[in-house]
Amino acid sequence: MKSLKLTLVTGRTVEQGVEGEHGKLRDEYAEKVAVIELDSEDLGRLGVSAGSPVLVKTAHGEVVLKAIAAKGRHPGIAFAPYSPWVNVVIDSETDGSGMPTYKGIEAEICPTEERVVSLEELIRKHYGLEVDLSKLAGQEVSGGEGGEEQLIKDVVCPFCGCLCDDVEVLVKGGVIVEVRKACAIGSAKFLDHRKERALHPLVRKDGEFVKVSLEEAIEEAAKILANSKYPLLYGWSSTSIEANELGIELAELLGGVIDNTTSVCHGPTVLGVQGVGTVRATLGQIRNRADLIIYWGSNPLNAHLRHLMRYSALARGVFIKGRKDRKVVVVDVRETPAAKMADLFIRVKPGQDYELISALRMAVRELDIEAKEVAGVPVEKIYELAEIMRTAKFGAVFFGVGVTMSPGKDETIENIIRLVQDLNEWTKFVLCPMRGHFNVTGACNVSLWMTGYAFGVDYMRKFPRHDPAIWTVTELLSNGDVDAALIVASDPLAHLPKEAAENLAKIPVVVVDPKFNVTATIAQVFIPSSFVGIEKEGSAYRMDGVSLRMKKVVDPPEGVLSDEEILSLLLEKVRELRGA
Amino acid sequence: MEILIKGGYVFDPINGVKGEKLDIGVKDGKIVEASKIDERSAKVIDASGKVVMPGGVDLHSHIAGAKVNVGRLLRPEDHYISFIKAITGVKRSGTGKTTPTVAPIGYKYARMGWTTVIEPASPPLKTRHTHEELNDIPILDKACFPLVDSNWFVLDYLSKGEVEKCAAFIAWLLDAIKGYALKLVDPGVAELWSLGKGYGLDLDDEIPSFGITPREIITGLCKVNRMLKLPHSIHVHCNRLGIPGNYTTTLETMKALEGMGDGIVIHVTHAQFNSYKGDNWPALRSGAPEIADYVNSHDHVSVDIGQIMFGGATTMTADAPFEFALFHMTPIKKWAGSEVEVESASGIVPFKYKKRSVVNAVQWCIGLELALLIKDPWRVIPTTDHPNGGPFTRYPRLISWLMSKKAREEVFEKINKTAKRRSVLPDIDREYSLYEIAIVTRAAPAKLLGLEERKGHLGEGADADIAIYDLDPAEGAKDPEKIVKAFKYAYCTIKDGEIVVMNGKIAKTTYGRTFYVKSKALGEDLMKEVEEEVKQRFKEWYTIQFSNYIIDESEIRYPEPIVVGG
Repeated sequence: MKSLKLTLVTGRTVEQGVEGEHGKLRDEYAEKVAVIELDSEDLGRLGVSAGSPVLVKTAHGEVVLKAIAAKGRHPGIAFAPYSPWVNVVIDSETDGSGMPTYKGIEAEICPTEERVVSLEELIRKHYGLEVDLSKLAGQEVSGGEGGEEQLIKDVVCPFCGCLCDDVEVLVKGGVIVEVRKACAIGSAKFLDHRKERALHPLVRKDGEFVKVSLEEAIEEAAKILANSKYPLLYGWSSTSIEANELGIELAELLGGVIDNTTSVCHGPTVLGVQGVGTVRATLGQIRNRADLIIYWGSNPLNAHLRHLMRYSALARGVFIKGRKDRKVVVVDVRETPAAKMADLFIRVKPGQDYELISALRMAVRELDIEAKEVAGVPVEKIYELAEIMRTAKFGAVFFGVGVTMSPGKDETIENIIRLVQDLNEWTKFVLCPMRGHFNVTGACNVSLWMTGYAFGVDYMRKFPRHDPAIWTVTELLSNGDVDAALIVASDPLAHLPKEAAENLAKIPVVVVDPKFNVTATIAQVFIPSSFVGIEKEGSAYRMDGVSLRMKKVVDPPEGVLSDEEILSLLLEKVRELRGA
Repeated sequence: MEILIKGGYVFDPINGVKGEKLDIGVKDGKIVEASKIDERSAKVIDASGKVVMPGGVDLHSHIAGAKVNVGRLLRPEDHYISFIKAITGVKRSGTGKTTPTVAPIGYKYARMGWTTVIEPASPPLKTRHTHEELNDIPILDKACFPLVDSNWFVLDYLSKGEVEKCAAFIAWLLDAIKGYALKLVDPGVAELWSLGKGYGLDLDDEIPSFGITPREIITGLCKVNRMLKLPHSIHVHCNRLGIPGNYTTTLETMKALEGMGDGIVIHVTHAQFNSYKGDNWPALRSGAPEIADYVNSHDHVSVDIGQIMFGGATTMTADAPFEFALFHMTPIKKWAGSEVEVESASGIVPFKYKKRSVVNAVQWCIGLELALLIKDPWRVIPTTDHPNGGPFTRYPRLISWLMSKKAREEVFEKINKTAKRRSVLPDIDREYSLYEIAIVTRAAPAKLLGLEERKGHLGEGADADIAIYDLDPAEGAKDPEKIVKAFKYAYCTIKDGEIVVMNGKIAKTTYGRTFYVKSKALGEDLMKEVEEEVKQRFKEWYTIQFSNYIIDESEIRYPEPIVVGG
């Protein structure tokens, strides 16, 4: 049978974002995320047509995904959206950074007769748990009848780190009927927030989920945490600052670990800044002044949809009036949608960002590079980019998980920060991480001001300690270091590498989330919560650190509490159980 | 709870009490006459043989906000070396030495007997962040100063000569983002830094984008400050900070504001960094005598010193080009630069002050010279510009230097000998009394902030913020080590009538208020007109919506508006 050795890159897609917001237990989610994008050339070489299943094998496992044709050209590279399916082939090794290698993985791909398994089958096969998703599927919450129409303006969108705050939401009878100005994913989040809702706390009894009262669920959850020797409190990036503060207090009380999703997105960025510093600017400063925008390993048209219009390439600023006043450069392993609109596209070999950055630092200093090409990029092109950078009046690099997740990790980030610091000898240059979840920047900030560290904080000794090689979600779980977990506003089972996910399924888990997500399927206790930024107000931080007040635009479903309220109850109960 | 503090030596300068043995009563969070307290039911604290002072007030300490948090991010090594453990129900945990987290900030200040602390530099767009951190700092009362000197609205109005409109904008801004006073940092520099320029910006250099000079920004904002009847004067980090020869700029800045009106019209902050003589670093000499002479002969200026303390520090300032320059001067190659649309910029560089360095040794002399040569203790405040000159936790050592010539001489033994020749400090005999210490660390900063009705004294009706130190005024005050020990761990600290520190240990976690200013000095029509103008331009200038810029009172844990000019 034919097979191809390709480089596997996993990442975000619009469909994955939209379907994830709608509900991850639906078949449509599986349909959109259990896929692998292959270049037409590679499809031909494999002899499979788009839509056929293929077997993806790495050193860490194998999984069947549906092959689809890639939109941009990237022969030799296979792209798969983050999902419980593709995670099965991802390694849990983090090289001490806490960050698994989600990108640039050697993979063998071949045609197969097998089909793509359903989520239920996947959970059975890999986590050894029987779940009947049809029983767990959420329900659509109906709204009130009739009622006044109300247009709420300047709503802050609780989806990505862009935190667009100009969204208009039309509410009728307590239901969101229309969303204006938001992107596709943001709109989906507002419009679909009532769909697939889990409304009842659930506790697993004799292997089956049973509906229980909130009091009972809190009691069960508190018992799991209070009886745990070393619990992990994970998630936190899609909830408010206020909820984060309570989460940190709970971790301190329990003597456990609190980690936010930074450890699997921009953890290396944090480590890079710890090492050498940073050069930042708010998005408005960039919009108003930057005549050079570089997207490096970031995919704004799929992950931060309004970024280009509001803040970067296409945005109208005070001194830079739009696309025509700007140069746009894209550095990526594949031709992303943004690459098509760039003045210069630099295709870097997967996993060789560090080498390219080093060469650029040399070129910026006018040093001779002896090789003909570095990281697959001809040296002339490197000198060209260096010249573009040095002669810009104000340059901005937006780097994404394409850089942080590649091998090299924090070393790569330190190098890119050094490049930007170097460039400030000639001109103005800043960089900004493209943070994913709407409040992941806030989760880092509140963790910093309460613990001194942005993520991966241990309280075993009743004061905060930090070491990404020990106290981050992937390390703790894959090493089997924790004996219970509280997951708030996150879905690690859908995003963590195989071993970590497997071990999560072996310990008692409490999930607090507005929707019954993939992680909830393996939970001991599930407590539904309201959506921050839709049903509950709270503070959140944009990717550049600007803090905004999220609005409450509609009431939560009856009986559903906010993360803040649930965590307060948990704190109280744990204190009681621990006799404090 | 009622408290009776019995038999202590009381130092309460605002009420003229100079170490007399007095009883102090506390009821419902306020100071009351001791006779009104029922001794049988009250908590009685025996303060005999001890010193009783109002709670300390720090008017310049970088404790909260975006740049402080980036400082924490930048320095995990600063957090590994210092921590406090949580005790369930009593205190929270935290880490950090020069960039402490919220809990150690509150607790360490309280353990020294300080109860009110001001964050002096907050870019308005990021002030929600500042308030969120202030909310989480235990025990202390707080406030923050918004950065206004490079704000486009300010530059635009002032360059057009529209001082009244500028005042209306400032009144709106203070209320919108819940700020307390106006902070100017190397006035105008952030605007130039947007173009990669600004290092060495002097008083009469033009900022081309607005056709305005730092002198015009300073005088304009000083007028605005007085029009709005703000409780504190403009708070100025002068131009050319950290550049040898800059004492002339500092003198010129103070001169520029002569005749602006009665009382203090400018506070020159961390003046040590702005009192340098000499053409270059190797030739650095003290300019403190000239600065002190000027302050002694003019009553419109107050200063805080910005003392450097040998050891680790984290420099952080809105003076972005200075930090970029410092990045090139220090062997610790870390630099965090940051810029905020329309408003400000900043930089952070970890630093270490070394005893053997000529420059650092001269800097050490300059700070103390300022404190000792300026005669009026009501106008010179000892600070370390935490964490720029060193962490606030070094205040007890600083106090010992002010109070003891012997303590200063001991330092001279250990530092670069050249410093002795380049400064007049060795010839200064002055030693602060405990009464003067009570002025400079409590009464004077409270008064300069315009909080003297409720802070910085122990008269009836004042907030019951009290520090009791285990120090005998007659004997202990002569021994530097006893002074350090007494001020490092207060015997007892009371905040709003609650005992928060006992025997140098945290006894309870409370949360204090955040002060902010509402000025009603201007007419409603003008205020409305300017608000409309701001709204109009907001969309073009900023990337957030006008309505989302405004911080609601509900976002602050215990908001305390100070209404002025009404």
